[in-house]
Amino acid sequence: MKKIEVKEFYRTKQKDFLLSLVTEPETMERSIVSQYLSRPGLAFAGYFDQFDYKRIQILGEKEISFLQSQKSEELYRITQEIFTYDIPCFIVTKGLSVPEQMIFLANDLKIPIFVSRLTTEKLYDFLRKYLADIFAPSKTIHGTLVDVFGVGVLLTGKSGIGKSECALDLVERGRRLVTDDAVKMIAKDGKIFGKSAKNYGYFMEVRGIGLIDVAKMFGIHAVCQEKKIDVQIELMQWKDNMDYERIGLTENHVNILDMKIPIIYLPVSPGKNVSVIIEVVAMNYMLKSYGYDAAKEFTQKIQADIIRKSKK
Amino acid sequence: MLRKTVEITNKLGMHARPATMIVKIATRFRSEFKIIKDNMEINGKSIMGVMTLAAEYGSKLELLVDGVDEEHLLNEISELFISKFGEE
Repeated sequence: MKKIEVKEFYRTKQKDFLLSLVTEPETMERSIVSQYLSRPGLAFAGYFDQFDYKRIQILGEKEISFLQSQKSEELYRITQEIFTYDIPCFIVTKGLSVPEQMIFLANDLKIPIFVSRLTTEKLYDFLRKYLADIFAPSKTIHGTLVDVFGVGVLLTGKSGIGKSECALDLVERGRRLVTDDAVKMIAKDGKIFGKSAKNYGYFMEVRGIGLIDVAKMFGIHAVCQEKKIDVQIELMQWKDNMDYERIGLTENHVNILDMKIPIIYLPVSPGKNVSVIIEVVAMNYMLKSYGYDAAKEFTQKIQADIIRKSKK
Repeated sequence: MLRKTVEITNKLGMHARPATMIVKIATRFRSEFKIIKDNMEINGKSIMGVMTLAAEYGSKLELLVDGVDEEHLLNEISELFISKFGEE
């Protein structure tokens, strides 16, 4: 199961979320395991049914003013009870001040409390997007991702079939490399995005040469950080008696992270210019998404002709 | 070289699906394969060619095969026409 350490969260998002830690640094030895947020108002009022304690707890103006309205002993008692739950962290919004007892107890029970200078609404928005990204289903596969005329093309196929060389050729022709060899795929907003599995840069292995740096060699315009995957092309060795698509009326799909992605099985043989064909795949994909399907168009014309002749 | 005349007996004529069937079988063989209709001669291994014939129900096609496995090719293709490409 996915999770993020509170420490890591604070280190990376401190600036974006305008966070400051009001408890001791040792309190951050916890991890966030849910992508959702909770407003623990009812818990502070003593109602613990369905208390989502595994979520980040957001305390806004309402909660803080409620807590401040409580008698000191009562506040201490209820806070103590809440803090028995395994809560990842609290975030107080709008830069509001946190009651002393709460900080004292939080330090004692090692529960981190942050104060954000953002409004509750803003923080909710930012946190939701951030957590959705972190907890999005993802998977890393062997392949190469290129941006061809704005179409995200995932090249797959056996090792040595020529994915890297093909990507290199495409880059040479002015297209962009997203990542070579390992593609991390992330499901977000009903789409699949692909990027490099590790942020080491745009290195690529070319058989016979070794490693090259595509961004350095071809310039920054030759690379792209992240791209939506529109179509997969499986490169395969040409076989004489294999059934290859001849018209293109039927579309094949693969399932990536529960999403359907069109796939094209592309036979390659020595001397064949695969890059041009990949560009054609991308352009054909664009035409189809604009509503023009060449295969349908052509076969409809033939059909009309056959009908016209049979009526004679 | 072998020659044979066949007739289109399925109602819909030679649309995309039967054309694909012909081409897929033809490309498995090494022999050359031509189809002649009226004054058109096309390569039977080319999908565009076969579809361009736009052969309607009742029309006649001349099959022309030439090569080491011509007999098998001609048999299999004729079989397709007889079976009406699995249509009506």
